[in-house]
Amino acid sequence: MPRPCRCPAWASRGLEDGHEMSTALEASPGTPADGVAGPTRRLVREGREGRAGSWTRFVLRRVVGLVTALLALLVAVFVMVRLIPGDPVINALGTDATPETIARLNAENGFDKPLYEQFLSYVSNLFQGDLGRSFITNEPVTQIIGQRIGPSLQLAIVALALVFLVSIPLGMVAGGVTQGGRHRRIEVAFTSVTGMFAAIPDYLTATILAFLFAVQIQLFPVAGADGPQSLVLPVLAVSAGPIMTLARLVRLETLNVLSNDYIRTARSQRLPRRTIYGRHALPNVLTAALTIGGLLFANLIGGAVIVENVFARPGLGSTLVQAVVAKEYVVVQGVTIVLGAIVIGVIMLVDVALALVDPRSLTRST
Amino acid sequence: MTITASVDKPAQPKSWLRRHVAVRAFLTAPSGVASVVALAVLVGVAVVAPLYLDARATETDIAGSWAGVGADHWLGTDALGRDTFARVMVATRLTLLLGLAAGAISIGLGVAFGLLAAVSRGRWRTALLRGLDAALCIPAILMAIFAGAIFGGGVNGAVVGVGLALCFPIARITSTLALSIGGREYISAARVLGVRPLRLMFRYTLPNISESLVVAFTLSIVSGVLFISALSFLGLGTQAPEFDWGGLLSEGVANIAIAPAGALGPAIAIAFTALTLSLTGEALARACNPVLWTSSRKQRRAAPPEPTAVPVAAPAETEGGEPVLRVDDLVVTVPGAVGPVDIVKGVSFAVAPGQVLGIVGESGSGKTMTALAVAGLAPPSGTVGGTITLTGRRLADLSKAELDALLARELSVVFQDPSSALNPALRVGVQMTLSARIIRKLRRSAAYQLAAAKLRDVHIGAPDRQLKAYPHQLSGGMRQRVMIGTGLMAEPSVLIADEPTTALDVTVQAQIMDLLEEINTGDRSTSIILISHNLALVSQNCDRVLVMYCGRIVEDLDLDQLLTDPKHPYTRALLAAMPKPGGPREAPMATIGGEVPDIAAPPAGCPFHPRCAVAVDRCRTDLPPLVIHPEDRARRVACHVVEGAGV
Repeated sequence: MPRPCRCPAWASRGLEDGHEMSTALEASPGTPADGVAGPTRRLVREGREGRAGSWTRFVLRRVVGLVTALLALLVAVFVMVRLIPGDPVINALGTDATPETIARLNAENGFDKPLYEQFLSYVSNLFQGDLGRSFITNEPVTQIIGQRIGPSLQLAIVALALVFLVSIPLGMVAGGVTQGGRHRRIEVAFTSVTGMFAAIPDYLTATILAFLFAVQIQLFPVAGADGPQSLVLPVLAVSAGPIMTLARLVRLETLNVLSNDYIRTARSQRLPRRTIYGRHALPNVLTAALTIGGLLFANLIGGAVIVENVFARPGLGSTLVQAVVAKEYVVVQGVTIVLGAIVIGVIMLVDVALALVDPRSLTRST
Repeated sequence: MTITASVDKPAQPKSWLRRHVAVRAFLTAPSGVASVVALAVLVGVAVVAPLYLDARATETDIAGSWAGVGADHWLGTDALGRDTFARVMVATRLTLLLGLAAGAISIGLGVAFGLLAAVSRGRWRTALLRGLDAALCIPAILMAIFAGAIFGGGVNGAVVGVGLALCFPIARITSTLALSIGGREYISAARVLGVRPLRLMFRYTLPNISESLVVAFTLSIVSGVLFISALSFLGLGTQAPEFDWGGLLSEGVANIAIAPAGALGPAIAIAFTALTLSLTGEALARACNPVLWTSSRKQRRAAPPEPTAVPVAAPAETEGGEPVLRVDDLVVTVPGAVGPVDIVKGVSFAVAPGQVLGIVGESGSGKTMTALAVAGLAPPSGTVGGTITLTGRRLADLSKAELDALLARELSVVFQDPSSALNPALRVGVQMTLSARIIRKLRRSAAYQLAAAKLRDVHIGAPDRQLKAYPHQLSGGMRQRVMIGTGLMAEPSVLIADEPTTALDVTVQAQIMDLLEEINTGDRSTSIILISHNLALVSQNCDRVLVMYCGRIVEDLDLDQLLTDPKHPYTRALLAAMPKPGGPREAPMATIGGEVPDIAAPPAGCPFHPRCAVAVDRCRTDLPPLVIHPEDRARRVACHVVEGAGV
């Protein structure tokens, strides 16, 4: 649970406010309308600059975190690929490849150089946007990924939006209804139904959806990536589990938020229920929901990779599976790095979004 | 769990009883029974099916290919005429074994990694924990595919890959648990005694977190099954002629148009396992959380004894005409541990326009609940009896909308702790103006102008700037001013201030009290109900004082009477316990002996008698009624001993 920050910086600023307050009062008395005049405006500007300072620190911290995580990803992938026993080129092409081809590919990829040189060239190539070439088709990996990443990202992003749009209202309503131990039966029903559906893996949901809608009713296309219609079933398959998981979490968080004193304050003002939920509870619930938004996106990307294979969507998932079967490690490595980097980037973006929704997280140490 | 400082018994063995209770809690939960049955079914099928169904599952019969669903073939046959039902049953063994292997790898690696991170020091620990967090960012299935490919593909690669992918959550849980007990005394003691890190890890840390880890392990094994099935489904796990559920599902999906039942069989098997996972996890979590074992049962038991009905004298007529607020025989009942409890037991009082009424009492006296009930804020699970009349209108006679409108207009509450009573996620201006904009339909600019004016009234400078601030950017005193300013937005007739200064510094307390006095004596002469445990504060600021004890008013008197002639022994004791300015500093602080009785089970007779110095026999048996003092019509008192008050 987020707690109000009581750090010394704010406390001392509060005291300064007390002093400046009197000067501001003397300088600009009068009606509320001209309250923004002169000295007050100066104070407003100073306040913004103060916040800009903490923003800079916050962004710096996030950038350092981002770079560290990306570096860890690169090192891990590099080390693991080099752990593969045997010659990577022979692994991919088989033993009947000509010695010349093997020697050429080994030299092109630098497999004949010492490990640290390989790592340096791997990193420097990466910064130039070069992820290597496919052994079999000789196509640049960046080009393969560039062609295939669109449908995958589209799927994951639409699914993420659906997850938030459905599970937050669902969880908040469930939380409001079951608050204070009321409606135990609804609570039991909600917990067991969401628990059940959250447990079903996405490839299974995909299979069932494909069977029901595409084969039996033939309402949606069962394969391909043409038009928004082809997105319906994959998005449902990927998001069903996360919707249930997040709805459970939102319900608990709603119960937590509703028990806070500020909700009692809002009730004492006799605000209508929708205002209490929408204006007072929602921003606080949203903070908790956003916190796991990044990890949720990681799950959705993973789900997309699998579900694409069920619906034959030409995305990164099918590319990855084909590359694994063909032992094309350069492609596998490239796809893993790109998807991993996207997930890490999204998690950082979520942090920034969180800071915009909830300014206290600026000063919270992470 | 209790903390022991003994070093020779690191594992803190749970008593047989506790473990027994945990097992029973697991088994009595519906999910516990179901999960045990489901797990038994899975294991039973895995053991038995290959013994009897192997032939039907593997023998090809081209003539009988794509047979439909029927008595011979419950789920039809595949392209080679093999019975799908038999194949699904037989595949159970391989599927579970692969899942078990992957789960075992993830547990081994995860526990080792987690403990390593937990016992390492300084930068190493930071680096390991950061690395863990980074690893958790990568989608698990992606990592399983990647690692599976690296470790040679096929079944072996899939098992190692899934094991690796699932080890990071285990490592995270292990390190969190280990770090949380790392600060415990027996660990520190062992460290001081020079126990080596490795020995510390295995003999001291691991046994103490093992129970919580059991849950994670179970989940990890069944997730292993689901992940392996996913890889096989993608064609990256088992290869023909081997078959597991994932492989069967992928075959079935490929031929879904010809033989839909072929996909249905493995789908049901996987779904069944997934549900078993969720049920087991829930039941185990329940068994590991002792709080959940008993809580649901305690609540219903024998009905509580009816409170003795005691006549309560109506409050004396208020001066200055019609009271702005009148409360008659207020009873508030809330559910307690052993049945409903009356927190407020028949309270009557009146507040005159412009009056400051103090309600004093120790915590648990019912003073806050009285105020909350008046403001319509009693807990939803409780019930409120009696009559409340606000500005001449009986609240019980009003519709919900009328009640909301009346309370919004005429009554405001200022709560004890302004740091929690203000919404941390909303700017001050938003929370101040919401009610004006939504209930009174003021336009945004008008509402903000009003809010700025109210902030000026509570002496907050640069109000336009403060309206843009978040509560955490204000000091405690400023926040309470904002709370009071918010309360004044509707220009109410009555302001209830519940311990408004308790959470504040002493210097700020005086400012807030001055502000309340200013509001009371200002143009609108708002009536104030000041609730406090602090008699000094009340005696400096109130016109009239209610003294409450155990849910009842024991004395209702004017300020003058309080200072010069308190009658009730409890009021006298409170006054005696009040530090006096200018009094001898060396004198010990006077206190009231004994404890406040449990409001759910108060002593018989007068609830104050165990602490009362002048109690007589009658006080131990008869509850004294609150009566108007015969010689002093402006005072009500509930005491057998006070002259003239006894019946």
